[in-house]
Amino acid sequence: MEAITAWWQGRSAATQDVLLLLLLLAPAILAGLAVLRGYRPYALVGAMLWRYRFTNALFVALIAVSVGIGVGLIAQERGLRKGTARAAEKFDLIVAAPGSEVQMLLAAVYLQPVDVPLLDGPTYDAIARHENVVLAAPIAYGDSFGASPVIGTTAPFVAHLSGDLAAGRMFAALGEAVAGAAVPLAIGDAFEPAHGVGASAEHGAHAGHALTVVGRMQPTGSPWDRAILVPVESVWAVHGLATGHAPGDARIGPPFDPAFFPGTPAILVRAEQLWANYALRSEFTTERTMAFFPGAVLAGLHSMLGDVRQVMSVMAVLTQVLVTAGVLAGLVILTRLYARRLALLRAIGAPARFVFSVVWCYAAALIGAGALLGVAVGLAAVGAISRLVTARTDILVEATLAWPEFHLVAGFVSLTVLLALLPAFMAVSRDITSDLRS
Amino acid sequence: MTALDLSVRDLVVTGEGGRVLLRVDALDVPGGTRLGIRGPSGAGKSTLLHALAGLLRPASGAVRWGGTDIAALGDAARARFRRETVGLVFQDFLLFEELSALGNAALAAAWSGAPRRAAIAGGAASMLDHLGLSGHARRSVASFSGGERQRVAVSRALAGNPPVLLADEPTASLDRASADRLIEDLAGLSAARGMTLVAVSHDAALHARMDRVIDVVDGAIRKAG
Repeated sequence: MEAITAWWQGRSAATQDVLLLLLLLAPAILAGLAVLRGYRPYALVGAMLWRYRFTNALFVALIAVSVGIGVGLIAQERGLRKGTARAAEKFDLIVAAPGSEVQMLLAAVYLQPVDVPLLDGPTYDAIARHENVVLAAPIAYGDSFGASPVIGTTAPFVAHLSGDLAAGRMFAALGEAVAGAAVPLAIGDAFEPAHGVGASAEHGAHAGHALTVVGRMQPTGSPWDRAILVPVESVWAVHGLATGHAPGDARIGPPFDPAFFPGTPAILVRAEQLWANYALRSEFTTERTMAFFPGAVLAGLHSMLGDVRQVMSVMAVLTQVLVTAGVLAGLVILTRLYARRLALLRAIGAPARFVFSVVWCYAAALIGAGALLGVAVGLAAVGAISRLVTARTDILVEATLAWPEFHLVAGFVSLTVLLALLPAFMAVSRDITSDLRS
Repeated sequence: MTALDLSVRDLVVTGEGGRVLLRVDALDVPGGTRLGIRGPSGAGKSTLLHALAGLLRPASGAVRWGGTDIAALGDAARARFRRETVGLVFQDFLLFEELSALGNAALAAAWSGAPRRAAIAGGAASMLDHLGLSGHARRSVASFSGGERQRVAVSRALAGNPPVLLADEPTASLDRASADRLIEDLAGLSAARGMTLVAVSHDAALHARMDRVIDVVDGAIRKAG
């Protein structure tokens, strides 16, 4: 057993997946070889399929929907997990006032507005001046334009988020903005932000504080694609606060003067070394500050989602078991429709195993077609739901079918074609003369 | 093909609750004979035919074709006997509508090994040709008339060149002209092949072409003609 385990673990992931698929399909393949050996029932099976084609199509559709839901649920959950993880991967460490890490994760990474206490200038200064910190970006939010939140931050953080800009240049003055990849503004467009976000936003509250788009970010696959990024000083100034610099100092960006720093709900921190991030988290986890890894918080959420995934998987399997039971009951009824012709076959001398093979092959054809169509249904459903989730959350969800879904389908096919031996057995156990007279 | 004598002794077929459906003390039919069976509906004609075909297992008695008592055989052996020895024709043809005439006639090829498969396919084509359907062999039987369908059914029954043909009301679903043609075909084939033909029918024209006719009444043979 240990040797087998060691051999298995020595195989690549792709090899393991292929082998597992074959292993799961093996019962169906072996049953098929055993049942069909020496016979050619295909013309008869084709005739049976065609004779009640609409009923058969209904069965195939039923199986397809069941399989599609099963594989779609699992693929979608994985896609959502990957999408949220990708959206957070640029955020190494977040420092905020003590409170809920999840709430701050939602606010800073996924741009869900939330009221939290602010960190003051000395705190920011201590973080920004730390020898291991290469990037410490304050953020400021609360304004919007249409569906796009206006986020104040620093140019280095925009560069960190986007890499090279897709078009234009980085903001360099208070009235300039860089649009996220999905913002419906062109370079050169000017707009006045509303105070607040969503339906309660106050339009005209910031009249006279027009912003002009000077650049566009690369797509990030995160809600930041929908954001309009401006110098943090711009947000502070619009709200009548100090700009982080001494009066008369027109610079934008760090370093900020702690005496004129109006506060920030979160500081997005980056260190060059992984160990340094851990050290910074430890150092800035104090009575006045909370430091956390967004990835770790997300992992906790995903762990909870993992439990949900297991429940979903069980539900998918249960759904398929129920459908299988329905299909088998239906197959028994369908084979009764063919009872007279099956009796004819037996009357004219067909071996019982041949008649058995006809019924089994017929059932396997329905199941196989349903499973294949189910994969297509799952693929289409996953694509549609992914687009919907991406449109609603701006988190790029690229869900697609992968090996676990194919394993699920293979297991379903094997289980059901083995169970299909039962109606086949029942079909050859019927009384020939009664069926001939029916 | 060797003609097989039929010998039935003390045959009792029972139905639900042990009710006696058919009792035949003795029936002997030499190989190559054309035997007609007639009688009122529900008298037991078809039950007798099913017993002769080995489609049912009698409660007691013997049904010997040649030296083989098929009443003593198991299900698989009786199926093999039917496969190798008996051709069956039914009142309502029992064809697969979705298959061609040749597909129906050569049905047995689907469960036969390669050498026999070829023989059955050849026999089916030959029978269709003999019965005037060679030009329609590839057509779906769904478009066939009743007479044509029954000729396809006869082709299916005789594709394997069996020594015995059992027919259950073969002309009942046909118009007179088609029935007469079928009767000619059955009589001609029986004579040409030396084949034993047993036909259950209400059709006097069919019985007129038989060598011998028996009456079955109330589950027993009342008169041997």
